[in-house]
Amino acid sequence: MQGEGRKNLMMSEQRIITRNDQEQVRKTIADLQDQSWPLIPILEKVQEEWGYIPPEFIPTIAQALGLFPSQVQGVISFYAQLYTEPRGRKVVRVCRGTACHVRGGKTILKLVKRHLDIEEGQTTPDLEYTLETVACIGVCALAPNIVIGGKTYGHMNPKKVEQLLGHTKGGG
Amino acid sequence: MEKDVEIITITLNGVEVSGHPGMTILDLAHESGVDIPTLCYDPLLRSIGACRLCVVEEEHSGALLASCVTPIASGMMISANSPRVRERRRMMLELMLASHPDSCLVCDKGNRCELRRIASDMGIGAVELERIPQPAIIQEINPFIERDLSKCILCAKCIRACQELVVNGALDYFGRGFATKPATLGNLPLENSECTFCGTCIALCPTGALREKDTPYRGTTSQVVHTTCPFCGCGCNICLEVKDDQLIRARPGKEGINQGTLCVRGAYGLDFVNSPERLTIPLTRVEGSLEEASWDKAIDIAALGFKHIKEKYGPQALAVLGSPRCTNEENYLLSRFARGVLGTNNVDNGSSLYNSATRIGLGQSLGFLNSTNPLSDLEHAETILLIGADPSSSAPLVEYAVKRAVKQKGARLILVDPRQTELSSFSHLWLRPRVGTDVALINGIAKSIIDEGLLDEEYVSRRTDNFEELSKSLEGYTLDFVERTTGVLAQSIHQAAWLFAQAKEAAIVYGSGITQVSGSSGVMSLANLAMLTGNTGAQGGGIYPLQKENNTQGACDMGSLPDFLPGYQSVEDAKSRRQFEECWGISLPTSRGLTALEMMEEARSGRIKGMYIVGENPALTFPRPDLIREALSSLTILVVQDMFLTETGELATAILPAASFAEKEGTFTNFEGRVNKVQRALNPQGESLPDGEIILKLASRMGFLLPYLSPKEIMEEVCELVPWYGEDLGLEESRKSSTWGSIHQKRLLKGFPRFCPVEYTPKFEAGDGYPFVLIVGTTLYQFGSGSRSSRSSRLAKFSPEPFLEVSDPDARELGIVLGDGVKVMSRVGETTARARIVDTLPPGMLFMPLSSPQNYVNALFDVSLDPQTKTPALKACRVRVERIL
Repeated sequence: MQGEGRKNLMMSEQRIITRNDQEQVRKTIADLQDQSWPLIPILEKVQEEWGYIPPEFIPTIAQALGLFPSQVQGVISFYAQLYTEPRGRKVVRVCRGTACHVRGGKTILKLVKRHLDIEEGQTTPDLEYTLETVACIGVCALAPNIVIGGKTYGHMNPKKVEQLLGHTKGGG
Repeated sequence: MEKDVEIITITLNGVEVSGHPGMTILDLAHESGVDIPTLCYDPLLRSIGACRLCVVEEEHSGALLASCVTPIASGMMISANSPRVRERRRMMLELMLASHPDSCLVCDKGNRCELRRIASDMGIGAVELERIPQPAIIQEINPFIERDLSKCILCAKCIRACQELVVNGALDYFGRGFATKPATLGNLPLENSECTFCGTCIALCPTGALREKDTPYRGTTSQVVHTTCPFCGCGCNICLEVKDDQLIRARPGKEGINQGTLCVRGAYGLDFVNSPERLTIPLTRVEGSLEEASWDKAIDIAALGFKHIKEKYGPQALAVLGSPRCTNEENYLLSRFARGVLGTNNVDNGSSLYNSATRIGLGQSLGFLNSTNPLSDLEHAETILLIGADPSSSAPLVEYAVKRAVKQKGARLILVDPRQTELSSFSHLWLRPRVGTDVALINGIAKSIIDEGLLDEEYVSRRTDNFEELSKSLEGYTLDFVERTTGVLAQSIHQAAWLFAQAKEAAIVYGSGITQVSGSSGVMSLANLAMLTGNTGAQGGGIYPLQKENNTQGACDMGSLPDFLPGYQSVEDAKSRRQFEECWGISLPTSRGLTALEMMEEARSGRIKGMYIVGENPALTFPRPDLIREALSSLTILVVQDMFLTETGELATAILPAASFAEKEGTFTNFEGRVNKVQRALNPQGESLPDGEIILKLASRMGFLLPYLSPKEIMEEVCELVPWYGEDLGLEESRKSSTWGSIHQKRLLKGFPRFCPVEYTPKFEAGDGYPFVLIVGTTLYQFGSGSRSSRSSRLAKFSPEPFLEVSDPDARELGIVLGDGVKVMSRVGETTARARIVDTLPPGMLFMPLSSPQNYVNALFDVSLDPQTKTPALKACRVRVERIL
């Protein structure tokens, strides 16, 4: 139930796409459309510009490329790095690789979830954080690790999680 | 070097077999009679090798190959049944079954499930693998299709059918890995997606994942009958599955015009044949009310009534109205009944209200009386001009063909329609002329083609007549004039001329937006355009007039017309008459009879005293239904023959219950001129009889024993008397396009195609107090007057109540919001509807669906006849709109 409430909140905070936005995305498409396989570059560019791919743009992209909207959606849903929902300004990646796991990565994940008050794959309602887990980030010597907004934090413990994320909504 | 080799020989199961380059191993195996199981393969679809069930072993390399996607190569040594192959197939199938529910006993797919059939062929019972639970039924409220994705094996037949065959693209894969499933955009229920419920995917689905919803009757089919769809002019081949004399379902046939596709009407709209509202016993009027009667009594009343009038007032006081929904044989009989038994040429069919424009227009210009090419040729066109038609709802098969041409063959579509339609997004150039200005627009394009020197000079000078006249007549149609008249920018007209004339082959498709608005002038102007560019029949070129009803073409071919005997042989020509007189053993009336609307006029003025109406509902479908009802009520005798008690039937002296298309034998001729078989799948309901048998009964009671024992004998006579029909009627053969050309060459009248100059005459000019132009058109979930579609339980559930589409600016001005009741008034009548605010219409224009039994759109139309075709404009008129408070 809590989850649903949050989902609704997220929906309400999702950007409303205006005619101007559509215009803007048409320009993005036009810039990239002439290459031989333009769909993925266009999707990546749109995601770069908007933080995610608003579903409202799918028909626009499809029309420009002579595809069916369902086909464009099919491609987006295939790739893990393409999103149709807004993402947080910072992505929190908790490592669950072997080294991090044996050094308590699972507990760190639990704490991060509690602080952010979201589950894996979700975004905080204020669009500040998105929580993901990764298989390994390659700095096992510092395990357990988390990455916040591109910056890696090693030797994590409950206190450090508190310091890094204690100010967030669920943290209080 | 190998590419030059015409024949490729491989060894298949130890036997040498040969095929052509490009064939797959599976193709060759099929050809050689070697059985390879498949689930994702279908000859109609592009192969993708998804199910891997068709693996075969290449014995040299030991490679396991998916035979449906592996081309044959010289020297291959293929085993389609080695132990490794069998083991691999078994594993593939067990993996599929591991995530498939064990619900075969209750699954609606029953014995038609290919997954189950193949499993049982391989002797696979219980699967030992760990089960993977799958998502279950998707909740959907549409009455047509239910998706139970727990049974989906991801063969993508539905996805490919939707993308490749009907080019609708409602579905594609969604997600990845185990979570993959076919989904609509936004993963919404089908009714909120692009889906048009054409039923093509259901027919292809190998499992119970896609199934029919709300079937009127369940059970395992005991019989499958191939016949022809009774709705629109496309004439699709359908397979009726029957059990206990009940129609269980209709599947698209894989041959004929439709090649495995269908539309919602053909797939789910045929249960009207089982409707409890069917007339099953003759009715006669006793003291003002209709009461059940025996056949003998009803036929007596009808026959004696006609006889009496014939004796007292002469045969000209009688009239017969036939139907484009009846078979060729029945129309031929009706034509003979009117001329030979009653003795009058007062015989017409309901399609003359809209089809005469094509017959006269194309007849005078090209010498063709219908479509110049089969629909399959359309996909070879480089440019398609689609004008005055919304095939997405009126002729879905044509829509699919246009979309395939554009999307798969790179054709360019010039769409001429003031209304935004489904095809607008497929068009390269979309022109939105003011309603009624098409002739000016086409003349403008023609002039542009001549001025720019784009015409096919060799064709024009060597093969056509009257070019000088045309050229002169077009002088006034300057870009400037045409832009002012039509509202289409000069630049766009210019562009259209180039797109059309520069194409190697360019085709023209038109519908009732031309025939019922601009009449034969519109048709002739289009024919001029085709002639100018040499596009009068080569593959890819040509003209396709869409027709509304399943047998419009046939009814006219068979002489249900006041001026023509069967085969368009003039009633005024003694030589033509003689042929029929000799065959029928009587003398025929010599002067042309009355058209359908003239009959009504004459009935109103009392000169027509008796009418025999077969399968038509003029009291609803003709313009000014109020006057029509007045006319019909004033008749001394009105005999109505129909499946249902229609508005016309309510006025009858005697009603004869007719059998449905599924209960009789014969042929329908579709808009291409293709003659399709109609075969009996059910016994006639109650005491109802096929129309042909009723006509024979009536004739015999009037003292004329017509010598036909079966519809086949009638067709044999037609073939003798109308030689060009005969040519085409190796009926089975006629389904193959190879025999197709002949019917048209025979139908070509003498002489060259002739340019017929036509002038634009203003229509629908702004009138006092009637500021809007209303267009009416077909919607997908209804058909004709709705007497059948509204009695189809599923179509009825999905068809909306009468609505009026209003553009956003107009709605604001009128103070109308979505769902408001509105009154639409023309100079002659009014009707009511609910408002829908749309962005598909330009301001000043309104749209209403044509058929909806609850309201009489035709009440708005006046009987203003096109001078040449004597047909009314039933497509557009001036109206005003008021909100109902």
